[in-house]
Amino acid sequence: MLTEQAPKIEVRPEFQSSAPEAAREKVFELRDIEVLYSGVSAVKGISMEIGRNEVTAMIGPSGCGKSTLLRCLNRMNDLIPTAEVKGELLYHGEDLYGSGVDPVQVRKLIGMVFQKPNPFPKSIYDNVAFGPRILGRKEGLDEVVEKALRGAALWHEVKDRLKDNAFGLSGGQQQRLCIARCIAVKPDVILMDEPCSALDPISTGKIEDLMIELKNQFSIVIVTHNMQQAARVSDRTAFLMTELDATEHTRWGRLVEYDVTQQIFTNPSDKRTEDYVSGKVG
Amino acid sequence: MPETVRVHYQEELDTLEASALGGLDLVNIAIGRTMEAVEHQDVELAQVVIADDDRIDGRYLEVHQSLITLLATQSPVATDLRLISALLHCLKSIERMGDQCVNVCKLIPLSGTEAPADPEMVQLILNMGEHTRPLIMQAKRAFEERDVEMARDLVRRDDAVDNLNRECFHLALALGDDPDRREWAMTMLLAARAIERVADNAVDIGEQVAFVVTGLFREFEDASHPS
Repeated sequence: MLTEQAPKIEVRPEFQSSAPEAAREKVFELRDIEVLYSGVSAVKGISMEIGRNEVTAMIGPSGCGKSTLLRCLNRMNDLIPTAEVKGELLYHGEDLYGSGVDPVQVRKLIGMVFQKPNPFPKSIYDNVAFGPRILGRKEGLDEVVEKALRGAALWHEVKDRLKDNAFGLSGGQQQRLCIARCIAVKPDVILMDEPCSALDPISTGKIEDLMIELKNQFSIVIVTHNMQQAARVSDRTAFLMTELDATEHTRWGRLVEYDVTQQIFTNPSDKRTEDYVSGKVG
Repeated sequence: MPETVRVHYQEELDTLEASALGGLDLVNIAIGRTMEAVEHQDVELAQVVIADDDRIDGRYLEVHQSLITLLATQSPVATDLRLISALLHCLKSIERMGDQCVNVCKLIPLSGTEAPADPEMVQLILNMGEHTRPLIMQAKRAFEERDVEMARDLVRRDDAVDNLNRECFHLALALGDDPDRREWAMTMLLAARAIERVADNAVDIGEQVAFVVTGLFREFEDASHPS
């Protein structure tokens, strides 16, 4: 018969899917988050906790609000005049949307890497030094740039041409440069919005390796359409999908399931997640 | 309504499942013939079973390769991944079942043309076969219908086969000291043991049913920690 108790097998730490729940430190706590554009909900009812030094993946079909939700996490939606965020979003226990919070400081602590590499029309060096300079740093920039480029696994490829224009780099190198630029200002969290969708498999592999390295220092939240990428790099996965109202005219994104990645890809608890990760619904 | 996609992939997976489980029909035929060969000391029929095992092995290789290709090309996850993992396990069990029938059939010439057969022991082995055949088909049905309770019931049926196997052992001990008779009894014990393993393999398939349905693998019965 199926034994009621789990067999007494000790799982070696490297094979455990994630840290025990109790030991998990939270970076973000989202409580009933709703984002509206011009009064119309893009996502609503989102409650989840994002752990420190974890890679959290957000997956879901186009238009389900993944990027909208990601942009909430560093107040990028503030830049859109008609955008409104409701609910409670705590960052290390503090209200991210509190009246005394400086959005610029938020974006320094919570950096973002976009789908398309967007280096500045400057040298490789100046791209990475841009953030520290803005923040008033004048001394020791060389070390900062080298450290950031090493952190982004790009140093050895560019160390002899730091003064070259960043546009001369390949797509994958440009994206890693953007990651270097992001980590040069020592953020706490890195948000990545489909960072590999414009890259070839080799460059994608490098960025994925980098994410696993970087999570030791940073917390990473990634939006991806590539489910295997979510399975490969993330500790936890959130699946969002579009919900329609009774009239089928209004739609918004809803969090369907949020769990340890291994669970999502081997035995998801919601049928809709199963159908999506199996690629059986379009 | 969301549109259903990956239709061809799903069809291929369904076909492979049917093909893998179809191996149990081949085993059912093999064990039926094996029992007949044991009953009548039919060496020719035993040779047919041995030759036909190539069909079971061929099925194993073919479906196994196709499942590996599906893993490589389709990146299955969730239920599909569990199903493919379970089918790979089941294929191995089915291949072993076929081999056990071969093992029994290879023993038939050893037991001699005029073996000092004990009718009671032959009947016990035939009874084991009679109990094992429906067990195999129940394992197949439980898998097809994803019926965990039906799969779990295989343990109860397997207990009956185990009991018959033990009876064979006790009977062999009681058959006396005549060397020919003892040799025959030892040979028949090996045959009984092989049939008993076939039934165990059917239970293994039942455990895979539970894995596909629940996502948790647990042995129905733990031989090293019996309840």
